[in-house]
Amino acid sequence: MYRKLIINDIKKSKLITITITVFILLASMLTSLAAILSASLFASIDGMMENAKTPHFLQMHAGEIDMRQLSNFAGEQANIENFQVTSFLNIEGAEIVIGEDSLAGSVQDNGLSVQSERFDFLLGLDGNIIRPTEGEIYVPIYYRKNGQASIGDSVAIHGVRLTVAGFLRDSQMNASMISSKRFLVNQADFEQVREFGKLEYLIEFRLTDPAAVAALEAAYLLAELPANGPPAITYSLFKMANAIDDGIMIAVLVLVSILVIIVSFLCIRFTLLAKIEEDYREIGVLKAIGLKTRSLKQLYLAKYSALAGIACTAGFVLSLFAKEPFLTNIRLYMGEAGGSGLGIAFGMLGALIIFFVVTLYVNGVLRRFKRISAAEAIRFGAPREKSKAAKGFRLSGSGMISPNIFLGLKDVLLRKKLYVTMLLVLAISSFLMIVPQNIYNTISQRNFMTYMGIGECDMRIDIQQTDNIAGKAEEIAGFMAEDSDIEEYTVLTSYMFDMRMTDGSAGKLKVELGDHSIFPIEYSYGRAPQSESEIAISGFVADDLEMGLNDTIALIACGQEKILTICGIYSDITNGGKTAKAVFDTGDGSGSVLWSIIPVRLQSGVTIDTKVAEYKNRFSYTKVADIDDYINQTFGGIADAVQKVSYAAIAAAAILTVLVTLLFMKMLLTKDRYSIAVLKSLGFKAADIYIQYLTRAFVVLILGIAIGTVLANTLGELVGVGLIASFGASAFHFAINPMFAYLFSPVFMAICVWSATRLSLAGISSLKISEYIKE
Amino acid sequence: MKKMISGKSIVKSYGKGQEATNALNHVDIEISAGEFVAVMGPSGCGKSTLLFALSGADTINSGEIELDGQDLSKLNENELADIRRTKMGFVFQQPTMLKNLNILDNIILSSLQDNKRNAKNITKKAKILMKDTGISELEDRDIAEVSGGQLQRAGICRALINEPEILFADEPTGALNSKSSEEIMEIFSAVNKNGTAVMLVTHDAKVASRAERVLFMKDGKIESQLSLGKFDEHNMEDRINQVILKMRSFDI
Ligand SMILES: Nc1ncnc2c1ncn2[C@@H]1O[C@H](COP(=O)(O)OP(=O)(O)O)[C@@H](O)[C@H]1O
Ligand SMILES: [Mg+2]
Repeated sequence: MYRKLIINDIKKSKLITITITVFILLASMLTSLAAILSASLFASIDGMMENAKTPHFLQMHAGEIDMRQLSNFAGEQANIENFQVTSFLNIEGAEIVIGEDSLAGSVQDNGLSVQSERFDFLLGLDGNIIRPTEGEIYVPIYYRKNGQASIGDSVAIHGVRLTVAGFLRDSQMNASMISSKRFLVNQADFEQVREFGKLEYLIEFRLTDPAAVAALEAAYLLAELPANGPPAITYSLFKMANAIDDGIMIAVLVLVSILVIIVSFLCIRFTLLAKIEEDYREIGVLKAIGLKTRSLKQLYLAKYSALAGIACTAGFVLSLFAKEPFLTNIRLYMGEAGGSGLGIAFGMLGALIIFFVVTLYVNGVLRRFKRISAAEAIRFGAPREKSKAAKGFRLSGSGMISPNIFLGLKDVLLRKKLYVTMLLVLAISSFLMIVPQNIYNTISQRNFMTYMGIGECDMRIDIQQTDNIAGKAEEIAGFMAEDSDIEEYTVLTSYMFDMRMTDGSAGKLKVELGDHSIFPIEYSYGRAPQSESEIAISGFVADDLEMGLNDTIALIACGQEKILTICGIYSDITNGGKTAKAVFDTGDGSGSVLWSIIPVRLQSGVTIDTKVAEYKNRFSYTKVADIDDYINQTFGGIADAVQKVSYAAIAAAAILTVLVTLLFMKMLLTKDRYSIAVLKSLGFKAADIYIQYLTRAFVVLILGIAIGTVLANTLGELVGVGLIASFGASAFHFAINPMFAYLFSPVFMAICVWSATRLSLAGISSLKISEYIKE
Repeated sequence: MKKMISGKSIVKSYGKGQEATNALNHVDIEISAGEFVAVMGPSGCGKSTLLFALSGADTINSGEIELDGQDLSKLNENELADIRRTKMGFVFQQPTMLKNLNILDNIILSSLQDNKRNAKNITKKAKILMKDTGISELEDRDIAEVSGGQLQRAGICRALINEPEILFADEPTGALNSKSSEEIMEIFSAVNKNGTAVMLVTHDAKVASRAERVLFMKDGKIESQLSLGKFDEHNMEDRINQVILKMRSFDI
């Protein structure tokens, strides 16, 4: 009997049934998708890093290294399981010609390596360790994705000809955010090119207890082992770098699915309550003749469980297809690593959870059955509304408002509760449309770099891993002073200083000295150092030292102890993130110079490319970068992923808006049939009634957009900040694209609501007066 | 006399094919301007159907209806709505008021459609009507706050606000006690006296006796009619008796 009742009910309310099924389906699909993707992502990363035996601790160094000293260190440290030094032959991008084009435009540090002996292996796309033969070169997967290389291309490096035999996964340097890229060649070819490049060493350790990497890092610095390259990088940083691009996409996916789940719940609640209201009298009668509410409840519960069951299964199955495009990137960069079975299991679990949550929720809403009084239901036929025709807002005193608009407005005012569902959904839709777009806009803004510890400039010159850094910087600065194309520049030099910790032990700190006011960055707390006794530290340093604003740091500079007060804390993704900034003078440059950078702002009208080329030519010992290229190539991947998601979110919001408006208007129409018949008998045209309903829809829409926008700029910003903070930046504000947030998105939503209203009201003109008021 | 409504051979059937029933079976009817016509007949004989057909509120299957010289079948939905609003008034058994509006707003609503600039005059007119029907103190009430009789009066005011040429009433006193019923009928007589035609469906001989002409329907046909002449309070008894007699011969 239940089955028959359910089927009848579904037939009678097709639109509602379909809409709710679609929402549950979407919710389960998105949840399952997010679960599959995260499981696959982490399984793949773990798989790759295990296969490659990624080092737990890595320090780069250019110049002489004393192998005996390093071996001794490795021997002394109980925690070190394995240790090796591999070489990275840094080659100027312009000298690497793949096919026709060189890598001159690349912001990456490109270099050659041979396969490691013990660990840190470079893997092929099949996950195996590559052993290149003579004449073969394996290219980082990054360049395949860029379209800069394909198999069979010839590569010329200083006249040495090689052929691209395949692509490699580099568990350290895969991510676009990591700015070095290793090409793999045979030992013989490596020796041939050796004299043309600049040799750097990767000093790598595998640990027995990877958790204790911080202690090793400290010990390494203290032992004054070679460390003139960028700061040490650890296993967890490698892992994070590998996860970021896809991780952010998944995070946004999770956000979207949470919203869809909320909307599904709202719709279930709304339709169930409407249904109960419709059947109020019957429920009362059934109660009166002694039927227990339990069996009634079970009836509805059975219906919704059936729907949820079908929808969740379908959602799960769909997610299996939908996952493919999302997984291609993960597969390409990280490989499959047998994670697919696990991913599917997680996906199924996700869908199952949605099923149970929906069923529980329906059960909760249905508790209302208990409250229906048989007597009242039979007498009044409907739950009694307490609505009072809002006094004071009268047609007779309303002056110029058309009666249609008046009626629309008044209905919303009087039946607020009824419109809350639609309001919330529209608010969520507008939130959904704006937030991902804002995140995208924020990270694609030029000044976003200032939140990451990089001052906003046009061109940047790096002088590192060479001798007489200070002299070279001075030479370049001198030249720049004469260059009329340059508006502003400054020399920022990083030093390694000894630091006395609060417990008396010694530590090291990299401090960048110079004028920090010309190319300012954003500070999470406090501000830039202005006086000699102030210092700003990066978030990572603050975490390490467990210090905050106004704490003091004791540095040993110029042979004496300097007490510096922390005046600011900033996010830094450059140089491993452990840096500090100060303005004091080192006099003759005591302390060890690590590197110098010269950020440059060009006069407007000067082409950055030409300027970059000019300085590259003139000062061949430096690295000259076009900052826009740098930003593009570093964050472009993330920005692209977020942009994709933001388009998906816009589509989802549009679907939500249309479906819910359709559903809601249809229900209103059913509820209001009688009033519509009355209006028609009074000589109101279909077009008049249409205006009334459109007014209602638009009042709710406007409110919804307002709430959604406010939420997007507050709550949404928090979420966005959290997301973006996951890759190193913090304490920033949304860069809102006003055209999108305040024009496109509301107009687009208005179009959705308008067309859905139009569609659902098509039945008005055929509604017969006689059918609803004939005696 | 000018013809207000003329219907020829009207057929209206519900359902399809075998199950189709003729609610109106070739009905001919004429109502002159200013005339007061009552329609009587057993339940289900097609009275309401006739009323909705003549007012253009429902479509018919065949036949011809002219309202004030206009062929209804040639008008579209919007033109029909215009006619309903400007030339007709409706009163039903259950007062069909909008819950969201107070009494006064309910009354003036349809009039504002055409003259929203004139809200003041319309409100004034509504107040006069309310005074005439004895509900002037109710203008600000919610419709849930007044009695059935009062609501029915408000319904009449609403029907009259656009000064219609004809008033359609479907059992307007059906839900009222005899005292209220009498008072409502006083109003109808007064309205008719002012020149508005009235077509009224009723089961009540006393109510019907106020009409100039009473039509008797059965099974979708007008079987007979009774002419009573202009309403005259003094021979009320006699008029009622005539109606009752005719009803008896019809088994109503
Ligand atoms: N919407 C409808 N669908 C089917 N039959 C209807 C419909 N409306 C009325 N009828 C039938 O048409 C006949 C006339 O109905 P109606 O005009 O309402 O009668 P009255 O008002 O005289 O009581 C009745 O037999 C009734 O059952
Ligand atoms: Mg009837």
